[in-house]
Amino acid sequence: MRAVVAILGLVLGVLAGIALLLLNPLTWLRGLPPLPSDLAPTKAYRWDAYRGIDGGVRDLLGMTRRNRAVALKDSALSHMRIGIVVLPAGEGAPAALAVKVSVIAGENSLWRAQLGTHDYWSIFWPGEGSVFAIGYSNYWPVARDAFFAAILPGDRSVMSPSYALSAPSRLDDPAGVTGASGRYAGFTGEIREQLYLAPPGSARSEPDWTLAIKANPPPVATR
Amino acid sequence: MKRLFVVAFVAGLLAVALAATLWPLPSHFRYRAITSVPIDGGRQEEFIIHWPEDRIARPGEQRSGLLPAVVAGAAVLEDSAGRRVSAELFRLRDTEDNVIGVAGRLAGTGGAVADAGRSASNWLLVIPSRGALFLAQSDVEDTTLREGVAADGPVALAPAGAAAFWTDRPRVRITAAAPAGAGSATSGKVLRGTSEFAGLQGSYTETWDLETVHPDGSTSGRIVLSTLTSGGG
Repeated sequence: MRAVVAILGLVLGVLAGIALLLLNPLTWLRGLPPLPSDLAPTKAYRWDAYRGIDGGVRDLLGMTRRNRAVALKDSALSHMRIGIVVLPAGEGAPAALAVKVSVIAGENSLWRAQLGTHDYWSIFWPGEGSVFAIGYSNYWPVARDAFFAAILPGDRSVMSPSYALSAPSRLDDPAGVTGASGRYAGFTGEIREQLYLAPPGSARSEPDWTLAIKANPPPVATR
Repeated sequence: MKRLFVVAFVAGLLAVALAATLWPLPSHFRYRAITSVPIDGGRQEEFIIHWPEDRIARPGEQRSGLLPAVVAGAAVLEDSAGRRVSAELFRLRDTEDNVIGVAGRLAGTGGAVADAGRSASNWLLVIPSRGALFLAQSDVEDTTLREGVAADGPVALAPAGAAAFWTDRPRVRITAAAPAGAGSATSGKVLRGTSEFAGLQGSYTETWDLETVHPDGSTSGRIVLSTLTSGGG
């Protein structure tokens, strides 16, 4: 009987400890506000044909084995993901081709509620121009809700259908957009990313994503 | 019994605190950076890509018996006006041939991007342990991939992957010496870096070196990205 009580106390203590850790209020304080939709049209995209890590919470915690079908075998590439993305046309812009690279952030910390990736974009619109962009995506809210969904199995409302991932990084690198060529040369701006989880029971297991970019032309120089 | 439960509960809390402190979160394997300082100052670093072996193919993408110029891990997007963009993915090496990161090359033509017969291209270099570099340039010629059709669907064709591209020239400097008149705005410019490369700006050149022409008409060689950067830009 004493052993049962001790195990029960230990298990409940562990669950309570994980819950307290995941409910870190910094999660709510650190998100970035969404960009105004009239200035930064949202582009939905899929990132299914990737190489590298799956990019889920288990990867961020270092708890997964390599998926040989997609993994990059080189030692220096074991915690990253790369792929080509097509951003659809709309809102006056043509479709674009992009390369997205996500790298598990070296400054992740379980005490600071940071479990994220540095995301690097190179985007090119045919005949228009190109930009680079940097962002930091924090998956902590996804980890938190997945934990509570697991310990409260009857409650499906715990998991949100979408998560605004963009958050400030602890590094000094300012996130944002750097215009590279064509009519976007010299532009600067901001990006936001949102993750849409595959609905439970869906045939599709990969999530959907949206990207919003707000970029402004360089200031006009006067003599 | 109640006391035992409380002690075990607190032990569980402490176990989580200990795990959160000591949990081995992923860290990136790092090779020593191979940089040099030219006489005129700055920081010089070369990045190497071998084709075709450093191309990063999509999962399950294996093609054989096709045209020599067909490449894996690439995509082409062309609009109705013939303005084209292509994307390629590579492993990135240092001068000691270690794979240190990945590179994405996007090249585009037409409109505001480049003059007729030329392209502008961007390199996104990501070295997980060190950060990222953003490079942009005008190209001396149109370096975009073309879209072709094979028996199993559309394919991307890289002109430099076929022997015909290399007639009488084993080396091509892709970076334009000066910006194209009405096109892209730069000739080999390091626009920005992050983490270890933060604050660096400068210039770069992209050179393609042919190494072997294979009996089937395909080629192998290397791309050299030679960067010269300095801080405080």
